[in-house]
Amino acid sequence: MQKLDNTQLCCFPKRTRGTIVGYKNDGLKMPGKVMEIGLLPDTKFTILHQAPFRGPLYIEYGEERTRVALREEEAAFITVVKDADESK
Amino acid sequence: MKVSRKVLLVGNPNVGKSTLFNILCNRNQKTGNYAGVTVASLKGDYIYNGKKVEVTDLPGAYSIYPGSEDEIILTEFLIQEQSQYDGIIYVADALNLKRSFLLFEQIRDLGLPALLVINQIDQATKSGYTIYPEVLEKEYGVKVLLTNAKKNVGIEELRRAVDENLFCAGSPLFDIPSQNRALVDKIAGQTGEENLYKIWTMLSSTKLPGTQTSLIRQVSEYKETECLVPKRLQTQETLRRYEAIEKKLSEARVKKPQRTDLLTEKWDKLLVHPFWGYVFFLFILLIIFQSVFYLAEFPMAWIEDGFGALSEAVSSILPEGPLNNLIADGIIPGIGGIVVFAPQIGILLYFLYLLEDSGYMARVVFLMDRLLRPFGLNGKSIVPLVSATACAIPAIMTTRNIENIKERLITILVTPFMTCSARLPVYSIIITLVIPDKFILGISYKALALLAMYLLGFVTALASAFVLKNIIHTKMKSFLVMDLPTYKMPMWSHNLKLTLLKVWGFITGAGKVIFAVSIVIWVLSYFGPNNTPGGSSIKSEVELNDSYLAQMGRKMEPAIAPLGYDWKMGVGILTSFAAREVFVGTMSTLYSLSDNDPDARLIDKMRNDTKPNGEKVFTLATGLSILVFYAFAMQCISTVAIVYRETKSLKWTIAQLVGMSALAYVASFVVYQLFK
Repeated sequence: MQKLDNTQLCCFPKRTRGTIVGYKNDGLKMPGKVMEIGLLPDTKFTILHQAPFRGPLYIEYGEERTRVALREEEAAFITVVKDADESK
Repeated sequence: MKVSRKVLLVGNPNVGKSTLFNILCNRNQKTGNYAGVTVASLKGDYIYNGKKVEVTDLPGAYSIYPGSEDEIILTEFLIQEQSQYDGIIYVADALNLKRSFLLFEQIRDLGLPALLVINQIDQATKSGYTIYPEVLEKEYGVKVLLTNAKKNVGIEELRRAVDENLFCAGSPLFDIPSQNRALVDKIAGQTGEENLYKIWTMLSSTKLPGTQTSLIRQVSEYKETECLVPKRLQTQETLRRYEAIEKKLSEARVKKPQRTDLLTEKWDKLLVHPFWGYVFFLFILLIIFQSVFYLAEFPMAWIEDGFGALSEAVSSILPEGPLNNLIADGIIPGIGGIVVFAPQIGILLYFLYLLEDSGYMARVVFLMDRLLRPFGLNGKSIVPLVSATACAIPAIMTTRNIENIKERLITILVTPFMTCSARLPVYSIIITLVIPDKFILGISYKALALLAMYLLGFVTALASAFVLKNIIHTKMKSFLVMDLPTYKMPMWSHNLKLTLLKVWGFITGAGKVIFAVSIVIWVLSYFGPNNTPGGSSIKSEVELNDSYLAQMGRKMEPAIAPLGYDWKMGVGILTSFAAREVFVGTMSTLYSLSDNDPDARLIDKMRNDTKPNGEKVFTLATGLSILVFYAFAMQCISTVAIVYRETKSLKWTIAQLVGMSALAYVASFVVYQLFK
């Protein structure tokens, strides 16, 4: 079985499907809104765009394909993994 | 008719609450002092089955734990004002159902009576979803209605449900984690509070309301002694609730496998593009700017003529004399001077409402966040900054959705630098007066001058933000985490209604000020000190130059002469501190009072005015100096009042007033001395 590495959402490649695994430090320093807005463990997501000069990330996630704008430093709190069928 | 029932509209942002509100209360709405992102209606009512129902629209939120000022308002209202309402209409978004349920569950657990409305049902169907409300009704023990507020689907059923009072509180959905259960029970026992979830929310809140009830005191004590980390508790709750919500939803909602490429996705490829996205935004701004200045020309000319005719008519009807003067040459042109800008303000506001309603503004925030942060601002600050070009007052209220206090404060403090429509009458008349009639590359100098003023406002706003960023300190972190809603067709007539309400408010508000100021000026110019011996010390019907007004003006002259102003302009500037647009009305009054040529237009009178030594009063240097003064000075009592209300800080309100006025004085001085 292929080992999939955990990375932070901020450094995750664009237009690649991934799944949220958890949060750094249990999300203690993370804004609560990140979870409230639905970026939960086991949620599938894709980063569609990023604003220039390392601006916010445009992320589509969940079954409902909700869209959210997240700054890189906010995305840094979220631990994610590439979806198995993506790592070819 | 007395109000027989009061209901609240609660839900996430962007679920269609305003649409629902609008369609429920399509006859009666008042604009409130609220902001979602724009100022939305606050209270409205409708009549059903012979009874009047009052509906209050509250700011959107994702959970009961507040992040921004908006959300604090919501939470406090819900909990503390329980006796003030009969039920909550909770609005969920059929397309973002899972997320909608977090706040809903929390509200239910707090024991608040509610019914559930799942809105935008048409969109869900288009995306291949089928929703089974009966399943949800069973799971949650609450009445569930499906609606499409835009097309008026399900609204009658909603009114009926409200009429039949189908609101209910329910059995607790959240199981308090075992490790905290004992503590919660203990507090319940000690304070007699029956709602365990309520106790839990207090333990999990980072901020507790100020009022000191025994419950709050107990909770605060225990928080310390038990070393509870509220954030951990919140996280636990959120995770557990969502797990449960996921399960319940899997039975209540079914999706046909179908990969529909949303329109939103397609459009965002352009609108959020690292290059074209900005081009598009500038293009939109250009369209707005053009419309405001060209489309508005017809109604403006019309209004000008109308007031001119009114003034003449009144002048010929009333008997000759000072009263005739006051009304025909002071008050009427004064008020006309404001009404003439209504078309411009209206067009600007309408565009802004439409952009926001469509969902595009969120993309602008996305694009601007990185660019605004070096100035201590948040991407969300772009909305108040752009809306301030209409009027700073609703713009400042929009800042309630900025969570970080420092960013919010800075935004509030610099927003008044943006060129608002009240400055336009002043800019317009001065530019016409002193800027030469030349052209460069087909564009007139005058148009460029106006553009330069807008740029000046924007640059000054950013520069001051930068300075403030380094002065103000806070430990609070800044964050964005913003929902990007699906694009939707804006509600053309609803937004038009809002625009008209706002413009009317602006006219009546400013109109009152002008009316008062016109009278004061007239009185001060009609009466003067009596220097001849004998008789009273006040003489009436004096020549303008002998009046109290002139005296005051001349006393001011030493202070304003270095800026290039004469006493008449001094008076104009003084009165403008009440409201900027008053300047033109004041000038009009002053010039007509000293009148030798009553039929000439104000602008010609000003152009021909000369100082005692024969020089023209309005030179290029003086004109530029006035422009710069108005660009920077805080001349609007209403704005000062709003700043105080929103910052709750006398210190910052005064600092802003003094700072801006000082900047205005110094800048005008420099400009005048440079150009004279």
